[in-house]
Amino acid sequence: MVLKLHGFALSTCTRRVATVLHEYKIPFELVPVDPSKGEHKAAAYLEKQPFGQVPYIEDDGLTLFESRAICRYIVDKYRAPAGVSPLVPKDTKGKALFEQAASIEYSNFDPYASGAVREKVFKPMRGLPTDQSAYDFCVSTLSAKLDGYEAILGKQKYLAGDEITLADLFHIPYASMLAAAGCDLMTTKGPNVTRWFNELTARASWVAVKDGAKSFSSY
Amino acid sequence: MAILKLHGGKQATCTRRVATVLHELQVPFELIEVDVANGAHKSPEYLKIQPFGQIPYIDDDGFLLYETRAICRYIAAKYPEYGLIPTEPKANALFEQAASVELTNFDPSASKAGLQLWIRKMGYPFPTDDKIIADNLETLEKKLDAYEAILSKQRYLAGETITLADIFHLPYGVFVTYAGSESDSVMNRASRPNVARWYKQLISRPSWLAYLDGVTTTTAY
Repeated sequence: MVLKLHGFALSTCTRRVATVLHEYKIPFELVPVDPSKGEHKAAAYLEKQPFGQVPYIEDDGLTLFESRAICRYIVDKYRAPAGVSPLVPKDTKGKALFEQAASIEYSNFDPYASGAVREKVFKPMRGLPTDQSAYDFCVSTLSAKLDGYEAILGKQKYLAGDEITLADLFHIPYASMLAAAGCDLMTTKGPNVTRWFNELTARASWVAVKDGAKSFSSY
Repeated sequence: MAILKLHGGKQATCTRRVATVLHELQVPFELIEVDVANGAHKSPEYLKIQPFGQIPYIDDDGFLLYETRAICRYIAAKYPEYGLIPTEPKANALFEQAASVELTNFDPSASKAGLQLWIRKMGYPFPTDDKIIADNLETLEKKLDAYEAILSKQRYLAGETITLADIFHLPYGVFVTYAGSESDSVMNRASRPNVARWYKQLISRPSWLAYLDGVTTTTAY
């Protein structure tokens, strides 16, 4: 029975999961959830995802939500294809450095990147007014945080070391939307962040989903 | 083997999270206080270790690690017998789901409101904002309705036994209660009896009680 990804094509978090499914060449079916119709807040949906958020998966009898948890589950359960290094290291120190990088994404990048995108992309889409001072705060904080990234990425290729991990991939959906939100930091902060961002967004797995995740049955 | 060194602040919120988990796992550690008041965490030497200029970090026999949840995961993985990170694949997936719920659905509002409420309670000379506290507590109330649904079916967030995902809700889960009273706060409402039950279990743990007055070097358990 094929893995079912309940989400919608352009959702950032749905594309985060779809990227990793592509990295590991896992067939999946995208089961559309239409947030404009409030489908993610319906009682039947809340049974599966009590916070009313997108996406969740159903795989082999397991229902799982939270995109980063889903990605970790995929990497844990399935073998990386030949030539693809495992996206989560298994050795103690490699795993610890991965967890450090995954935590950096969540605490030092996501609040500010997603906040900027919310103000200048999502709110206008929903006819809501942009809070310019919230946007400015997100961008100036993100700029300071990316100084940390520039230092790290000057010493190693990726956030957890010299191999790509989930921690790098987690950044892509919001990082790729910053330009549309009027923020060019990913390509102007410094040469190391620019190199890393360009490599990430050129990956075949992201290119396959960036304009919309869709069901994929053979790689 | 050298004792684990926890570089942070005696009262600092994230240092307390790490100390709680070290205590859960009965790991001896030395607290080395970073002089945050004088900007020690922003010095070039410090930034070489922690490029975001934040506390805490650990030095485990020469292995340096920062980000509290990463530190806690690293230590818990060394002592799987405590079960704080389940290893069976399905249980592990549900743990990761719960750990992510804490990050995305609890921490953003709980840490914003909690930090300010903690600053006020401690009497620190930093500005606080009633609106930030109120708005974030309101968000948190709604999130905890979903927690109530989850915790009405199982004892803890990842299943029937406690995991790091539950413990990560400390210390902010306590600080947000400073806006209420012992008998009625956002974590302890009659309308959410399962959240209240779960919260009371968390704050009764010896690992939380051990550092109520601040983190201290702990060499014996």
